[in-house]
Amino acid sequence: MILEFLLIPLIVTFLAPLMRPKLSTVVSAISFLIPFFYVIYGLAENIVVKQHVISLVKPIGEFYILGDQISFSFALAICLVSAMVALYSLPYMAHRFDEMGREFESEYRKYIFFYDLYATSMLWLVFSGNFIMLYIFLEISLLASFLLIYMYGYGDRRKVATLYFIWTHIAGMLALIGFLLVASNNGSLAFNSIAKIGFTAWLLIFLGMIVKLPGLGPHVWLPWAHAEAPTPVSALLSPLTVGLGAYVILRAYLISPWFIKKYMMPIFIYGVISSVYAGFMVFRQNDYKRLLAFSTISQMGYCLIAFCLGTYGIMAVIIQYISHAFGKAILFMTAGGIIANYHGLRDITKMGGMHEYVPTISNAALIGFMNLGGILTVGMFGEFFILKGLVDTFGFDISTILAVVFVFIISGLYSFYTFKRIYCGKPAGYEKVKVNRLLDTPLFVIGVISILFIFPPLANILLNAVKTGVIKAAILTIGGVAP
Amino acid sequence: MNWELIFLFISPVLCSLPIAFFWVKEPGSERARKLPLLSVFGLFISFVIAIHILLKYPDGTYTIPWLPEYNINFVFIFDYLSKYMGALTAFIAFMIGIYGLEYMKHDYRLGWYWFFFNMFTASMLLVVYSDNLLMLLIGWEGLGLASWGLIGHWFRDDDELAYVGIIGRKIGPLKMYWPPSYGGWRAISTIRVGDMPMFFAVAAIYALTGNLNISQIHWGMLFSKIGAAGTVFLMLCFLMGPFTKSAQLPFSEWLMTAMTGPTTVSALLHSATMVAAGTYLFIRMSWYIHPWALHSVPGVAVLYFFVMLLGLISAFYGALVAIGCLERKVLLAASTMSSLGLMFGCAAASYWFGKLALVIAFWYLLTHAFAKATLFLVAGHLIHATHTRFCCGDLSLAKKMKTGLVATIIATVALGGLPPLTAYWVKAGMDGVMHHLVEMVGSTPLYLLILTSLLYSAFLAKFLSLNFWKGCKCSSLHLHEERLMPFAYACVVSMVFLLLYKILSGTDPLVEKHLLEFGLEKDSLMVGLGVTATYLFALVVPRISVLSPIGTFLGDRMYLPALNDFIVPSIGWAISKLIEYTHKAIDWFCHFGLPDFMLSISRRIRSIQVGYLRVYMKIALAFVMLTIFVSMMGWL
Repeated sequence: MILEFLLIPLIVTFLAPLMRPKLSTVVSAISFLIPFFYVIYGLAENIVVKQHVISLVKPIGEFYILGDQISFSFALAICLVSAMVALYSLPYMAHRFDEMGREFESEYRKYIFFYDLYATSMLWLVFSGNFIMLYIFLEISLLASFLLIYMYGYGDRRKVATLYFIWTHIAGMLALIGFLLVASNNGSLAFNSIAKIGFTAWLLIFLGMIVKLPGLGPHVWLPWAHAEAPTPVSALLSPLTVGLGAYVILRAYLISPWFIKKYMMPIFIYGVISSVYAGFMVFRQNDYKRLLAFSTISQMGYCLIAFCLGTYGIMAVIIQYISHAFGKAILFMTAGGIIANYHGLRDITKMGGMHEYVPTISNAALIGFMNLGGILTVGMFGEFFILKGLVDTFGFDISTILAVVFVFIISGLYSFYTFKRIYCGKPAGYEKVKVNRLLDTPLFVIGVISILFIFPPLANILLNAVKTGVIKAAILTIGGVAP
Repeated sequence: MNWELIFLFISPVLCSLPIAFFWVKEPGSERARKLPLLSVFGLFISFVIAIHILLKYPDGTYTIPWLPEYNINFVFIFDYLSKYMGALTAFIAFMIGIYGLEYMKHDYRLGWYWFFFNMFTASMLLVVYSDNLLMLLIGWEGLGLASWGLIGHWFRDDDELAYVGIIGRKIGPLKMYWPPSYGGWRAISTIRVGDMPMFFAVAAIYALTGNLNISQIHWGMLFSKIGAAGTVFLMLCFLMGPFTKSAQLPFSEWLMTAMTGPTTVSALLHSATMVAAGTYLFIRMSWYIHPWALHSVPGVAVLYFFVMLLGLISAFYGALVAIGCLERKVLLAASTMSSLGLMFGCAAASYWFGKLALVIAFWYLLTHAFAKATLFLVAGHLIHATHTRFCCGDLSLAKKMKTGLVATIIATVALGGLPPLTAYWVKAGMDGVMHHLVEMVGSTPLYLLILTSLLYSAFLAKFLSLNFWKGCKCSSLHLHEERLMPFAYACVVSMVFLLLYKILSGTDPLVEKHLLEFGLEKDSLMVGLGVTATYLFALVVPRISVLSPIGTFLGDRMYLPALNDFIVPSIGWAISKLIEYTHKAIDWFCHFGLPDFMLSISRRIRSIQVGYLRVYMKIALAFVMLTIFVSMMGWL
């Protein structure tokens, strides 16, 4: 059953370039919305499926589709964001091609193929039941996004694309070597037949994913790539792709959690420093998209922190991924909305009082920032679980508590500070424009869903599934985290 | 499912959605300008339901499943506090809604205004009726967000009337004027600082007890479990939320610049929602913590003493600032801060005095809400009429605004604590409580309370006098036959008489005849007389020119704005600059330094392969020399 749902976007990927732009956009969006509803159904019914795909030779093992609550939760964000960004792409890329002086229809056919390929590979990634399978989709998503940046990016796009490719490739290679070490120790890379991940393997996987996530230090690629990518691609890169680093660590953790448990304190401190560092950087940015890129680093620091906090921490990683995906997708699309309507306007110093000109985009941005700050959106549960996990793990340890609280405060502050800089204050003197429907409606769809997720029945569905999923996964593995 | 309860919260929000959407589509159209009526209707539904709850609902809780797996549910509580507070909130919000129909008639952003106004009310109702802390937090965050939206409502910063402070005035590096967008930012930034520790405390309570229902948690056991330091730490984290929301020192600045919002917002913010939410929550928590029964638990005494002192000092500070203020709304804002401090102080005294202290604090909250809402609404009317934010107006104005004058007189007298009106009895109760405490914690609280009371009545009289009697003459008056505005504040102010009746008749189940007894004591009467004297004095002499340097210092909030506008930002900017340099260094190394270095090496290597024989010969020769050298070394 699950395979069919996953095949829909894959098939559409190859069919969409044959259609006219409008039709291909709609079909692509629908092809992600169908799995989205299936995912919700799967979460509600607590479905766990394992579907065999192919059996390979010894050290690789079985390829299978693994649909448990964790996969479903990640897929929830991926499906919704991919569908909405696909809709958004149509007017945005029309503007971009126009700017680049290219012919719309033929370029769009190329674009939609790579876009769908990119999004689909991420969707398949979270349903992979084998590390090699997972790695393959990781690399496909990397290639597709690299090409999109290379072809349609801003600024010195070829250099930025290469830079992005090299960094993420380093990440991929490190992880691959890690996987191969696991294979040589366990004789298989299927999740269900790995007994233990050794130190070197864990370290390599972890380091690789730290580059991808990214943590402080290797994070330098992210502001370039996310700022210079065409906005719909940024709106997938930042919300979905980087967080998949957390997904891979999470899978490794559920199989063999000892590494993170043993090095809990350094990882925790590293997460806090990453988050605070990037949070402070946000205040200094004058480029809207670059600013959002730094905020991504800060938000991913949450995930690193949450990994160290036991069962509730793991649940928080999942919720945080979803909430950040929703929020950041909205925000990148607002940045793109301003770019498309005001001929590439990205410089915040030239903005001010933008609410006057693009009220709908401004309102959407508010919901996006609410997601980042965890105010009245699903992110609230993420923060709640992190704090709960914090007390479970460290008790009343004042320094860790203050650190985490400080991290949360910074997020709230930069969100509203940025909002004030861009959307409030004396209007900067532009013409009011009529915003294309597709440049604002998809933002509100994501926004409304992110708010609905704090109320029943959606809150129920998601949180119950996450709890069951994490606890069950932890019990099934050797040395798993006790609830 | 109890649909009535659900409608209580969602009807204001639902009814404000049409205008929110319609305004985006057709801003300023005639049709859109009619939709606020629907929003007010939503408030009316809430009001009716709140009254129904007040009169008909039995005490107890009502649960709607939310996250039963986590033992977290929507738990509504109906008790003495929530019933009164809910009715109060819904009533005042409804009245201000009516007032707003006229006050905001020509505004340029009605969709935004009504949506956030109604959401503000709904959030407050959620805070009031919730027993579950996580559910309360939804309302709490809603309050913060809505207040941000409303304070920064006039986001264009182009209207002088919407500023706080004298535009262009500077003291050193400090700009002493604040536009609306900045007011909103100050509010939300302060509140986030308080909310996050509070959020932590809620999570910690959940982690420790597995339960989030205020009325069910066994607080004594929890406090004993985590020890004295743990108790103080946990509860201080929790109270950071109420302290920032209720603008206690040093978080008071946002409240003063919150006056950049429309007056209706100030009125709602200062009476029944937002700032009252902080004190209300403290009272509600104490109601179930039973601090008076926890004398054996270490840490609780320290905590309550701290809260009491902080409250009373904030109250004193607020009163001093209000004395120095000349802006109508800022004066009232400072007075609100003062009142909130008194509520905190009195509620915290419950540790020594028992539950009655909480009841008195709560009654002060009620009295203050009606009176302060009235004063703000009148101030808004005055601003409309005189087109200035600063106190001005003389008898000729008073003649034209009779309702406003009468409402102001009643509100100031009732709130100032002049016998025998409402606040006198409540403040007498507070005097009694603090008097009782002299033996246990010393007489400082009592003196602070009395001093604050004296100052309080003085600045209220000053407000009355400078706006209706002895203020400067207004150059131009713009009275346009407003009907709804006077109607709204007349209704609100009449409520203080209802409270007075309740006190005097002794029909309230918890107040009984206690306040009456306190009020008839000699000490209370003395204080009452003192208060009356200062009131009358300030009424006749509202400004003393000799003291104006001191007044300016007080009016500048004793330079506390430096904390928000200079000290904290300076530290933040310094850190972020430092971080930016680090980032640039890493970025340069990874993306320019290292590639360039590699490039130069690559160039060197490539430069070898030029194809000239003599280059290769040289290399070969060098290797031969090296080999000889190495073997020589080995041989030696």
